[in-house]
Amino acid sequence: MSKVLHPIEHKIIKTLKETPNITHEDLAKNAQLTIDQVRRGIEWLKYKNLVEVHESEVFFASLGENGKKAAEKGLPERRLVNHLTKHKVCTFEDARTVVLEEEFNAAISNARQNGWIEITKGQTSNIITLKDNIKNSSEEELLSILANRTPVSEIKNKSAFESLKKRPNFILLDSIKTTVINLTKQGLDTPITQTKSFTGDAILAIDVEAPAPEVFAARSHPLQDVINEVREIFVSLGFTEISGNLTQSSFWNFDALFTPQDHPAREMQDTFYLKNASTNKVATPNQIAKVSESHKKGWHYNWKLEEAKRIVLRTHTTCVTIRHLADNNPDEARIFSVGRVFRNEKVSYKHLVEFNQVEGVVVGKNVTLRDLMGLQREFYYKMGLKKVKFWPTFFPYTEPSLQSMVYNEKLDKWVELFGMGIFRPEVTKSLGIKNPVLAWGGGIERIAMLKFALGDVRELYNNNLGWLRSIPKCP
Amino acid sequence: MPVVTLYFNRLQKLLGKKTSQKKIISTIPFIGLDIEEQTKDHISVEYSPNRPDYSTDYGIASSLQGLLGIKTGMPKLKIKKGKYSIKVDPSVRKVRPFITSVVAKNGKLANETIRQLIAMQEDLHNGIGRRRKKTSIGIHDLDKIKFPLTYTTVSKDHKFIPLTSSSEMSISEILQKTDVGTKYGNILGNSQKVPIILDSIGNTISFPPIINSNLTTVSKTTRNLLVEITAVDKNAAEDTLAVVTHTLQNAGFSIFSTKISGANNSTPSLNSRRIILEVDLVNKILGLDLSSPTIISSLRKSRLDAKSQGNKIICTIPRYRTDIFGTMDLVEEVALGFGIQNLEPTIPHSVSTGQKNKITKALDSVSAIMVGLGYFEAMNFGLVSKEVQYDLTKRNSSKMISVDDSKSQGHTILRDAILPGLIDALSRNIHETYPQKLFETGVVFSKVSNEIREEIHLACVCAYNSVSFSEVKSILQSVFKTGFGLQCTTQMTSAPMFSEGRTATIIINNKTVGVIGEISKEVIDSFKLRIPVGGFEVKLTGLIFD
Repeated sequence: MSKVLHPIEHKIIKTLKETPNITHEDLAKNAQLTIDQVRRGIEWLKYKNLVEVHESEVFFASLGENGKKAAEKGLPERRLVNHLTKHKVCTFEDARTVVLEEEFNAAISNARQNGWIEITKGQTSNIITLKDNIKNSSEEELLSILANRTPVSEIKNKSAFESLKKRPNFILLDSIKTTVINLTKQGLDTPITQTKSFTGDAILAIDVEAPAPEVFAARSHPLQDVINEVREIFVSLGFTEISGNLTQSSFWNFDALFTPQDHPAREMQDTFYLKNASTNKVATPNQIAKVSESHKKGWHYNWKLEEAKRIVLRTHTTCVTIRHLADNNPDEARIFSVGRVFRNEKVSYKHLVEFNQVEGVVVGKNVTLRDLMGLQREFYYKMGLKKVKFWPTFFPYTEPSLQSMVYNEKLDKWVELFGMGIFRPEVTKSLGIKNPVLAWGGGIERIAMLKFALGDVRELYNNNLGWLRSIPKCP
Repeated sequence: MPVVTLYFNRLQKLLGKKTSQKKIISTIPFIGLDIEEQTKDHISVEYSPNRPDYSTDYGIASSLQGLLGIKTGMPKLKIKKGKYSIKVDPSVRKVRPFITSVVAKNGKLANETIRQLIAMQEDLHNGIGRRRKKTSIGIHDLDKIKFPLTYTTVSKDHKFIPLTSSSEMSISEILQKTDVGTKYGNILGNSQKVPIILDSIGNTISFPPIINSNLTTVSKTTRNLLVEITAVDKNAAEDTLAVVTHTLQNAGFSIFSTKISGANNSTPSLNSRRIILEVDLVNKILGLDLSSPTIISSLRKSRLDAKSQGNKIICTIPRYRTDIFGTMDLVEEVALGFGIQNLEPTIPHSVSTGQKNKITKALDSVSAIMVGLGYFEAMNFGLVSKEVQYDLTKRNSSKMISVDDSKSQGHTILRDAILPGLIDALSRNIHETYPQKLFETGVVFSKVSNEIREEIHLACVCAYNSVSFSEVKSILQSVFKTGFGLQCTTQMTSAPMFSEGRTATIIINNKTVGVIGEISKEVIDSFKLRIPVGGFEVKLTGLIFD
């Protein structure tokens, strides 16, 4: 535990050394702290065993109804004596006229005890004689003190207090519970450590081990970090980034990729079509003619340009890649594209309507399926995924097509990641692309989920500040 | 994707050679199937609809036999000449012009066989059949049928007892009252006449593509089957027939032809095709140096026939392999037969140096500066809800861009601004400590006549008790000065979402590029935020990149 005290703790200890045994309120006043600071400081010091807090009950005495009356008009024995100062001597009968019947005996008895009067036997009744030198009785003194509510502990004359207490409705008692604070022996021994500030003034040392308030370092979005990491890897592998629109004509999203116009993937239940949107110029007349021909030949149906003009939210980034290749027609290329894609699905813990996809493409005279597998392995290696295996699969626009699986150590299982393949001749030939095109890609959210150990993909888009402020930049 | 259930004991019998469960499970992925579920006695596998022959365990067993080396080469279809015939009436041309058919005899239908065949029919309807629109299949008890059959049309008052029913119904009733009628009735459009298959004594056999007749119901005791397929596309009809015929042959039936004639219809041949494959192409694409015999044996393992002719290989492809278009598909068949696991990955040499595109670089800088100024990056969708984008923010929705038939209520329109999403994000973080500062860059959409325009915006919000116009203006100035050496000025305006007298347009290079201000009390209240918010939104496209 830290031996250095917080400034608040210093003030409390200093004050308690001057004035022990005081309440929180008094401590706050004397130490010039707020009541909250005192409470906090006491908690810390209690934990360090430097102060003790005692709870105690303080009793107070004040005057009751009869006590107040007596304070105003005098005690019965005083009233008796006052009467006697006028007459010096009187009989009992005479005295009963100045003192109430029920007080009479007490008045006589107390006056006698106080040594104010003498009682002698007369002929018909007893006779009261006033003495000389009449002083105030101790009860009277106490009565005037108790006009103000007084702690019982401060009453010195206990017998007078007992005597007044016996009289009906003279004294009211009440109590208040208080806590008082005291230094422990260890606390008394605690020295006040001082040091010098850079201006040379004496300042207190502080508790360097105490927790400091939390501040949050602003940061880029964790998913964006993963996207950036993927980008860096592609660039490091010699790939140049291309980008394209999120809204695309069906021509580039489907037709150019040899997806027939009646293919289930093109139906509204999988793909988002925009209401009242279309484009006049989808592609060059030559591109349109060749794609149309390829569909007629491969799928035996009447291809319609109108259908190809419909605007969709792109279902993959391949539309951007294929358009780039068709328009630029490179013999050799390494390009990649990353961005949002859309699927008309019900949102769930594993499906989003909109997510990020990355796609890499290699064009070259001599590129092979084994190269595609090798690039894949290299990419994963750079992502920290060391074990990769490949299975055959199907994609409408690649042939051969493979699926990659990577081993996830955290989950201890094989996870399906990117799909890949070589663009079909039906795709490349119609667009004038001569050399083989290796292509691969997949969703980035899946990688982010593995990286941040998320079970629900929606968390990536919740903008939950609690998560954004706490998730490590480099998990 | 469709799913098939494979019982190990059945599959082991079909393979015809003792094969362990472990071996089956480890081989399955290499014929292109994904294992979905695995239990003690069966596995469920997902297959791609381009391989309709995988819709039963018969087709999968045939493929496994190849890869395991139990049986290789093309499974041959033996069709004997049958004495069955279907005549087509020209009236079907307008509704469903084609029919094709075979007869399958002397088979046995165990419970599991019937289940597999029904599942196949369902998958083929949904796949090749495009939900019965393109093709639909009817399988009947042959022995209940009097040949020849007629494929013709009838009016909607025509009556028969449909499958699973005990009483006669009219076509109209079937279309209105049965599940299949309401589900598939729209395929027939508004046509007053509907397609029908009648036998020689006038019994209704089928009302395609809706329902079969009760008369020809197939049961466990049925031994002989009639398969008919009606279609709007002749080729698709024969593709479907090929798959069904192969499956039934594998299930132990003998196949007989049905003669089809009339109205451009003809008897299906279901012949195999030949494609010539160059050895060089295989090696060039796969990056291997395989000899002709290795390529041939690999193709045979993929259940195709192949023989060498010089530097070329002549491949024979059975009719049911509708997924094979040309040589590249055969290259894949070689790869599969050779074994994907036997392909060693290589790294292609490259002299190219990579780079990010200009937009990415500029956005990286914007992000770095915003983070430096204490703002957290938020991520919202581009496809958003009208409620957040327009209703709660009191913005004008007249230029809203909607998508058709979204399955998610929260994703129905394209965003035209980023700020609404950021304010919504603040409203979901009211329990977190303040100040809260968020920024986002991303695409927003607008429509010019019918064309969609996409632009990239930057927006930020700052929320805490003493946020002010001048604080967000300081941020705005800093982003463009530090990032791009641009000076920006602000000019009093009024704008939706913002407080009157605390709103300005943002002007950079003499162009209005955005809006800045304190969010109006009305909007703050509609998002149930109990704290003031300031923010701005700037169009970056055309400013720091094109």
